[in-house]
Amino acid sequence: MAYGYGRPALKSTVDVQLQSAFSDGNWNAVVRLADKRAKALKDNYYEAIKVCAESQLDGAAERCGILVAIEDLVKQKTVVDIDTLELYEWAASDFLQSEIEYADTLGPLRVRWAKANPKSPLALQCLQACLEYWDLVSAQQISTALDKAYLNSGDRRYMFWSITLTFLLSISPQCSESSRKVYSLLVLKQLERAAEITENSPKMDIKDRGLLNEEEICLYYRVLLVHGNKDDYIKRVQGNSLGALALLRKGHKLLFWDSLGVLETWGEWDLIFDLSRQALRLGLEGVTPHFFVCDWKVWKTFIAAASKSAKPEAALEEVQSILQDFFALKTKKPDTYKKNLALALLEASSKLYSLSPVTAPDVKGMTSRVIQLGLFLEQYFDRLSVFDDVKEYVSCLSFEEVQTLLEDIFPSMLSAQSDNVKGVILGSLICKIRYLLSTCPQTLSRHPSITDGQQQAEPYRCRVCSGLTSLPCKHCLKSIIVEAIGTSKRISADSDLTDAIPRLDKDPRIDLALVIGLSLLKLSGLRPGALEALWSPTRDLDPSLFLQAILIMDAQLRETPSDNGLRLILVRLYLLLGNASHAHQLWVPMDVKRTIHDALSPLFFDRISSLSPALFQGSRPLMEPLRSYYSSSLRDQCPLKTWEAFSSGSYTSLLDMVEYDGHLQRSCTLMMTLVEESRATRAFSGKTEMEIAENPLAWSIQDDTPLVNKTDYGSFSNLESPHGPQIQDFVRLGPELSNERAHLAFLSEQFADLLSFRPPKEYKPAKAIEAAIRDRNYVLERLTHLNRSLATFIHHPKTPSALTSAELGHYTIVSLLAAAALTSLSTSRADPTPKNMSLASSSIRTTLMSLRASSLQPAPAHMSATCFALTNMHAVSYLREAALAVKHTAGFVLAFHERELARDRSGKSALQRDVVAEMKALETVAAKILSETKAHLQKLKEALGEGGWLDRLLGWIFGEDEQAVDGDEELRRAVSDMIGGPEGAEEWCGRVLEGWREGIKGWLMVRWE
Amino acid sequence: MANFRRFRPGDLNKLSKCNLDPFTETYELSFYLQYYAKWPSLFQVAEDQNGNIIGYIMGKLESSPDVYQFSEHYLPWHAHITAVTVAPEARRLGIGRLLTEQLEAAADANDAWFVDLFVRSTNHKAIAFYKSMGYSIFRVVKDYYGDHSSDPTQSSEDAYDMRKPMKRDVKKEHIREDGEKYEVQPTDVW
Ligand SMILES: CC(C)(COP(=O)(O)OP(=O)(O)OC[C@H]1O[C@@H](n2cnc3c(N)ncnc32)[C@H](O)[C@@H]1OP(=O)(O)O)[C@@H](O)C(=O)NCCC(=O)NCCS
Repeated sequence: MAYGYGRPALKSTVDVQLQSAFSDGNWNAVVRLADKRAKALKDNYYEAIKVCAESQLDGAAERCGILVAIEDLVKQKTVVDIDTLELYEWAASDFLQSEIEYADTLGPLRVRWAKANPKSPLALQCLQACLEYWDLVSAQQISTALDKAYLNSGDRRYMFWSITLTFLLSISPQCSESSRKVYSLLVLKQLERAAEITENSPKMDIKDRGLLNEEEICLYYRVLLVHGNKDDYIKRVQGNSLGALALLRKGHKLLFWDSLGVLETWGEWDLIFDLSRQALRLGLEGVTPHFFVCDWKVWKTFIAAASKSAKPEAALEEVQSILQDFFALKTKKPDTYKKNLALALLEASSKLYSLSPVTAPDVKGMTSRVIQLGLFLEQYFDRLSVFDDVKEYVSCLSFEEVQTLLEDIFPSMLSAQSDNVKGVILGSLICKIRYLLSTCPQTLSRHPSITDGQQQAEPYRCRVCSGLTSLPCKHCLKSIIVEAIGTSKRISADSDLTDAIPRLDKDPRIDLALVIGLSLLKLSGLRPGALEALWSPTRDLDPSLFLQAILIMDAQLRETPSDNGLRLILVRLYLLLGNASHAHQLWVPMDVKRTIHDALSPLFFDRISSLSPALFQGSRPLMEPLRSYYSSSLRDQCPLKTWEAFSSGSYTSLLDMVEYDGHLQRSCTLMMTLVEESRATRAFSGKTEMEIAENPLAWSIQDDTPLVNKTDYGSFSNLESPHGPQIQDFVRLGPELSNERAHLAFLSEQFADLLSFRPPKEYKPAKAIEAAIRDRNYVLERLTHLNRSLATFIHHPKTPSALTSAELGHYTIVSLLAAAALTSLSTSRADPTPKNMSLASSSIRTTLMSLRASSLQPAPAHMSATCFALTNMHAVSYLREAALAVKHTAGFVLAFHERELARDRSGKSALQRDVVAEMKALETVAAKILSETKAHLQKLKEALGEGGWLDRLLGWIFGEDEQAVDGDEELRRAVSDMIGGPEGAEEWCGRVLEGWREGIKGWLMVRWE
Repeated sequence: MANFRRFRPGDLNKLSKCNLDPFTETYELSFYLQYYAKWPSLFQVAEDQNGNIIGYIMGKLESSPDVYQFSEHYLPWHAHITAVTVAPEARRLGIGRLLTEQLEAAADANDAWFVDLFVRSTNHKAIAFYKSMGYSIFRVVKDYYGDHSSDPTQSSEDAYDMRKPMKRDVKKEHIREDGEKYEVQPTDVW
């Protein structure tokens, strides 16, 4: 809503002189002229012009006159004329964002006016103004007045505006607890009455106060869900005029769709079965377009409902018979529906099978569902989406069925394939499915984990290859790699195939490279948990296999740059490798911008300041596009475009938009943006422009605001089975965004801001003592809050699993520091030594030391110290953060002490002696760690500057050390062949080295004191 | 597998399969919400089994502003396709066609004369797609786009304004056989 920001026009009766002074913004003249006119004409309007003009002047007293004037008007209970209101609203707009509440001031004035003039078109403007400031209390009152005024006019909008606003108010924090019940009941009753009218009228007229169109009806169900009861919902949704099927008959799908979800959460399976059956029959009979409800979700819920019915076999047979009727339809079936039908058949047979697993007598694994799966694969194996389509079904096959798939179905599909191109497409699909199976637990059987009293490293037997293994089976992974490399090389060597590839939807070598890369990653020892338990993400990894994986996927991406699935995995892998600049180069072409920031930016930006502050030193502020996205989307108090939804009668859209806005305001990505920027700014310039809590984007975030993570991993190429962690969990550094982490980060930034708080210098108050007390109280108050909040979050049971170990160490220290600072500043010279001080201080020291140990630890035996350190920057970064926090806290407390000593020579108000001593000791420890850390980085830089790096990197990739590739010659040869030997890897190594050097350069630019 | 349903704002967090494709533009939040607020039934999505959006169409119903009523470029009440896109992995399954058909049904339900859209004159796939559904070129808007999708040496690109008549246009008054020959300037369209 653009309304309200511009300067309003004065009434046309105002003389030219005053008009032009006003439009020129010549406020002194306006004040003078308006004052004269007010006295001469005895018209309050001029008084108002004067007050408003004064509010534009510089003096604080004049500026605030407007607030007093408004307060008086609210108290007087008279109706203020609309022009005066407009003037006041404009003049007060600066205060409305912060100092005064619209709902206490202009809102009630607007209500008063609208109630007195409900039929004036300007009443609508009053409603709009209240909505603009998201004052639901006033807006609701105005809409009710409008509804009454237009009762029999045939304009339905007012009735539904009033209903919608009453509902919004009833679920809003703006509603007082005492009114909530009244409004809830009121809105429900209004809609019930409307529903009755519709159900009892054979034909509805526009003037009737019933429910007429889809939006009105769906609004009713939304309200019913929140304020009504389940039985009513269930009764209505089956009704003849307002039921889901009734709406379907008229071509409206929304209610049917929504109700399936609702009924599912209630476990109303019989009703779901019945509704779905009837809805699908409507399509078969041609009452609706044939495939109107042939959506995957409908089939899936229908089949689930059938399997939960009293006679599941019979019900599932009915499903299958309906499916057959659809197949038999003579009309042209769009491919996507044909596929939905085929999958539904697979789903139904899968469900039937799980009810009574029957197998063909001769081949044990040849069950009905495997047969169905085979048929589906035969039909769709060359479609891009086939893997995702069958993933769930493959993952739940028994081992015998897996065997049938691998040993019967695939070979016969391959041999039936006379087309070479289709043959390699099928080959690459089989590789993907074999990889998927390596992540499925049913391919393993338990093997005694202790033999001869010895704990076995490989406690499983793989049922596919019979080898002993741990999870996943290494032998299978190796054979998958060799097979995939073979297929890939065969494609590249066959010109018929390479000529055909540009005409395909996707180069099969992309999937093959993915399978090879992922298998190598698994072989290298990459585990989601390992990132956590072992500090450094790559510590436990076989560097050779890890680097090979990246190299092969990177080479493929250069051939086929549009494959975002591969690209996203590589972005994350380069970040793990400590190569952020490289990751950034891969990230930028995806052009993540505007609306998709919230869901996608965490894939690159989360924890970025701890990985590479250097990135923040580019020409354009790194995260500026994110910040500006949030600023523009959350600029107004009211959710975007709500007025448009109101005026278009899109009531359900409106409710969804309000909810979306609520989520965006408390988005983890938004908090990530603020925190990462704030950290990077502190790292370079020491002080941020604005305290993080002062940022308007953070205003609504309190400790109890649940922050939501909406990260979208949908575009990762994910071949993992649903039984275990997904690919994003393997390649992410630490746990994903979460409420706990976001709050801790926010609080620790606030703590950093507080530590840089210095009492204003230029202002020398006459009463120095009072000022000192005021400052101390301010600091104590904020410390008390931060101490309490930090302690709450750090001790939350979910917190340890939401953080990397380095983060846990850091936030623990910050939380202890807040407590220590609070204790310190609460003492004075004469007090006894505070009890918890030495405990806090020794905990800080211990945590700092263990953070130090893991950040600056020596490399494991098989890894280069430099390479190891380069992949451990996240921990180093938190060591620096923590040491700085200690140093700054000590500095803050000691500076306070010094100031008190200087102010009060008696020393009485200075801090307690032992507190001062503890702080000095902490400061020394922190300074020592900081210089060690800096030296560590300096050493890294020097090491990287030495010659011979290219050869060293090549050495790791190709495993000079026999151990590194498990002595598996076949694998080693195949991989080396795929890479093209050392020559094939040289250019890549050069790029990686360059990335590392850049990163270190950035680290040496950050501040250390 | 696919579901076809009305867009809802939560879908904006699931757009990556469509919007990471360089042919699909990502707009400001207010742009999407504007369409959702005003023409919710003309904003439809296709989603996969994991809730990822694999296709969507956004459209509006309008006529030219009244002041242009006597201009030769005046557009009567019609539906306009603002964006249609299908994720690369889900193309050629009929998803684009189904989404467009839904919008056309809404256009007919709202008594529109025709459905129209702008497409880059070099977007051959999309042009073939529209033609297969009965759209034809009505006019060429010269240099409508301020950049060129495939040739970086060019600073602009023409748009085809394509149309399909709806039921209301019984006499097919709103389409042209030889629309390629009608060139107009960007200032003539709105
Ligand atoms: C244009 C686009 C939306 C088509 O979506 P789609 O779901 O693949 O299209 P459909 O499967 O419904 O195709 C319907 C018909 O259009 C035609 N068609 C679609 N894509 C085509 C292509 N690449 N080449 C030739 N004809 C094509 C065919 O006749 C097709 O019928 P058929 O498959 O039975 O032969 C999709 O390619 C896309 O998202 N492109 C990028 C975004 C874009 O350009 N949008 C248009 C901006 S104006």
